[in-house]
Amino acid sequence: MKKITFFTLAVLAMPLPIQAAIARDATTPKAETAATQEKVFNAQSFMLDNGMQVVVVENNRVPVITHMVWYRAGAADEPRGKSGIAHFLEHLMFKGQEHEKLGSLEPGEFSRIVRSLGGQDNAFTSQDFTAYYQTIASEHLERVMTMEAGRMRGINVPEKDFEAEKLVIQEERRQRTDNNPRAQMNEQIRDVLFTNHPYAIPVIGWMHEVFDLKWTDAHAFYDTYYAPNNAILIVSGDVKAQDVLEIAKRTYGLMKPTEIPERKRTTSPPFIAQTKVTLHHDTIKEPGFMRIYRAPSFRQDKKASLALQVLEDILGGGPTSRLYKSLVVDQKIATNASFSYSGTSWDDGTIGITATPAPGHSLDEVEEAIEEQLRVLIRDGITDEELKDSITRMQAEAIFARDSISGPAMIIGYSLVTGSTLDDIETWPSQIEAITKRDINLVTQKYINPDEPFHLPPVTGILLPAEQQAAEHNEKVK
Amino acid sequence: MRYKIIIHTMFVVMALCLINLPAYADDKYLDIQEVKTETGITAWLVEDHSVPIIAMNFAFENAGAKNDPTDKQGLTRLASNTMDEGAGDIKSQEFQKLLRDLSITLSFGASRDHFSGTFKTLTQNKEKAFELLKLALTAPRFDEEPVGRMRAANQSRIKASMADPDWIAARIQNDVIFEGHPYALNSGGTLSSLDAITPDDLRTFHKRLGKNNLIIAVAGDISADELRTRIDSVFGSLPVVEQNESAVFEMKNEGKTYLYEQDIPQTMIEISQPGIGRSDKDYYAAKIMNFILGESGFGSRLMEEIREKRGLTYGIYSYLRDYEDTDIMHVSTSTVNESVPEMIKLIRQEWIKMQSSPVTDTELMDAKSYIIGSLPLALTSTDAIASTMLSMQLDDLPVDYLDHRAEKFDAVTVLDIQNVAKRLLNDKKWTVVLVGQPNGVESPVTIKDIPNVE
Repeated sequence: MKKITFFTLAVLAMPLPIQAAIARDATTPKAETAATQEKVFNAQSFMLDNGMQVVVVENNRVPVITHMVWYRAGAADEPRGKSGIAHFLEHLMFKGQEHEKLGSLEPGEFSRIVRSLGGQDNAFTSQDFTAYYQTIASEHLERVMTMEAGRMRGINVPEKDFEAEKLVIQEERRQRTDNNPRAQMNEQIRDVLFTNHPYAIPVIGWMHEVFDLKWTDAHAFYDTYYAPNNAILIVSGDVKAQDVLEIAKRTYGLMKPTEIPERKRTTSPPFIAQTKVTLHHDTIKEPGFMRIYRAPSFRQDKKASLALQVLEDILGGGPTSRLYKSLVVDQKIATNASFSYSGTSWDDGTIGITATPAPGHSLDEVEEAIEEQLRVLIRDGITDEELKDSITRMQAEAIFARDSISGPAMIIGYSLVTGSTLDDIETWPSQIEAITKRDINLVTQKYINPDEPFHLPPVTGILLPAEQQAAEHNEKVK
Repeated sequence: MRYKIIIHTMFVVMALCLINLPAYADDKYLDIQEVKTETGITAWLVEDHSVPIIAMNFAFENAGAKNDPTDKQGLTRLASNTMDEGAGDIKSQEFQKLLRDLSITLSFGASRDHFSGTFKTLTQNKEKAFELLKLALTAPRFDEEPVGRMRAANQSRIKASMADPDWIAARIQNDVIFEGHPYALNSGGTLSSLDAITPDDLRTFHKRLGKNNLIIAVAGDISADELRTRIDSVFGSLPVVEQNESAVFEMKNEGKTYLYEQDIPQTMIEISQPGIGRSDKDYYAAKIMNFILGESGFGSRLMEEIREKRGLTYGIYSYLRDYEDTDIMHVSTSTVNESVPEMIKLIRQEWIKMQSSPVTDTELMDAKSYIIGSLPLALTSTDAIASTMLSMQLDDLPVDYLDHRAEKFDAVTVLDIQNVAKRLLNDKKWTVVLVGQPNGVESPVTIKDIPNVE
């Protein structure tokens, strides 16, 4: 609750869930003068002849590197009826590969080799991308680049491994979603929020469609999207940029570019009714409230996205932020309250508000109080002090963001693959500094106005104990 | 500055082929200074001025939740939630605003054994940061308002957890394997025990924190001289407290299977059996054995047999837990309800295989190579370095441990592993906890209510 996070990764990690949220880049505070001119990561960028972007962040504190490849292909790029294939393919990428120059690996051998070299590897899939990475002693960089390049165009999965992995995916879905009523409700909320847009479909896929996925489906997706000109290579850690470039030419440079289909996604119709999704469940012991709005992503509207990032800090950034302070500290009608904005997506991002009513208080009261806070904000705007404090805090995050090997690679990859430029990332602190009260008041009025929602109305989710308990609860509240 | 870290991976491979090479005598893996202060406190420090960040991790040994009275379970947890909610003359919201505006990380944590804290600041804010840390540690307010708010948040967390089969399985597991010991209690509190905790109880808790049960690890942009002064200023006024000797406890309810029925498609499976302690002569052999068996994720025998070959689970891990009063080995996994008996049979087979036949040379070499070679991965940020040093101190390891760590793992042989497997692994002593609707499980003890929640 007290940790400030800037965006949530709606991604599925392969073997182990990766950290669900990462702190966004920021920079040296003003005390260190002209610091906003300084680049956040000092990343160097190159382009291979085959169209693959290479980004290097040098950091020689410890002899370790993180090596990542991000493909601009995710669940929202799947053919209709094949939900889950992007994520399934991500699993299959560890199940064997062959390349005449870069060598062959048996199923499972990729991770075993990384492990035997003292490294860790993993992968994750989101709506817009799929990413693979290893963190390992820097002396093994060429080895992991060779293996990773080798599976860009040459996976080779035996039939029995494909079938076993399909069962694994089903177990993953049960574990993440089907065992968990909250996750099931979130899935349904997204389905309504993104009607007729592929973000409506969960990354893991619908179970009935996962049952029917074929190796040919996975291979078709792979052939279409896994190519150097649709990928970004990022290396962070104890390396020299020129060395990375040389190895990249010897490995990824061998891959031929292909024609990548233009990303044309279906869009949502202009619904007018607000939707409320209600779930009664016998494992739910207290009511819960959530409301999700659609909002612009960074790629769609940079200015609005930056303003929403500041607004997120003011409204939802920890125990002294507006929403928590009002509902939990002052009014004591909720036991928690959060406000978050996620703008790192290719198409629309989201704004989410959640709260749990305190015992003796109803969902209606909480909903009313949240809307009241939003109306006050829309009417009066934020204060100068709120803006100043928020910008200072956000800029301080940059120094912390640099204090890591894998963090910078993660932030850069996530941003580039969803349509930011390297310059957007490096100059983020000065862009944040340029945000004015007016910018924030504009996005507040436009995107979270409870009386006049943005182009689509928000979706509200209500969690309630099983029917009878719910009735009792209402009785008690009265 | 660059840490003097030797990459051991190649070294290990060579050492296995040839004879053991001597360790580098004058090159330290991590340059840890032992900083002794005037008031008698010792801190471990890795100085690094390359980033303007200071990170400190500290712990009060044996001041954890195991000291909580039964009717006030959750006391330590609630203290960890409220020690940063106002101190000295500064009230809760003002205190939190200072932390937030200066980007200071200050949080407290409660395990069964220890009470701990993490602290991180930019160098430029260090004056205020150390001052707030001192206030939180020495003069927490425990005002009614934040205590009530945190109590309600904990009760809400407990209610939300009651829908989480993983959490339910862990709760039942702790209740049965630690029966009769304070470890069996709900360290997060129960709905009613939290109601019973008062600010005065929190003040009583606070008396557990002394300078004689304190350990400190610091990394980043601070010199030894400055740290010496800072530590005395922050921690120097803490009292000397009475320390409890840890009592040896043996795991209970071996050989039993417990079932909590929940209408979900997949069953959570938690297996426990007696483990092995950090100071045991066979500890390093046991670590490698467990790595090969199930700790390593991909490549481990459990993961290969059960996930990779058969697709029966998304994940399966085994791990060794070293508590102050006992040692436990766990396996944690889940599978579709229909496959539970098969799953348990397969895990049992791996237990037997590990005892009856030696691991291969490749398995041993790969395991050593990872365990030794992955050490730098734990040192990639300022707070990670502080955290690693704190763990070393909690394990009573010497300050030069990292320089000799590789040798200890290197010395383990195939025979050592088989011997420790025979000594340690015992499927007759398994306590199995199932949450879900498993098919075909023979005569489990049925649990109707989640223990110690209401």
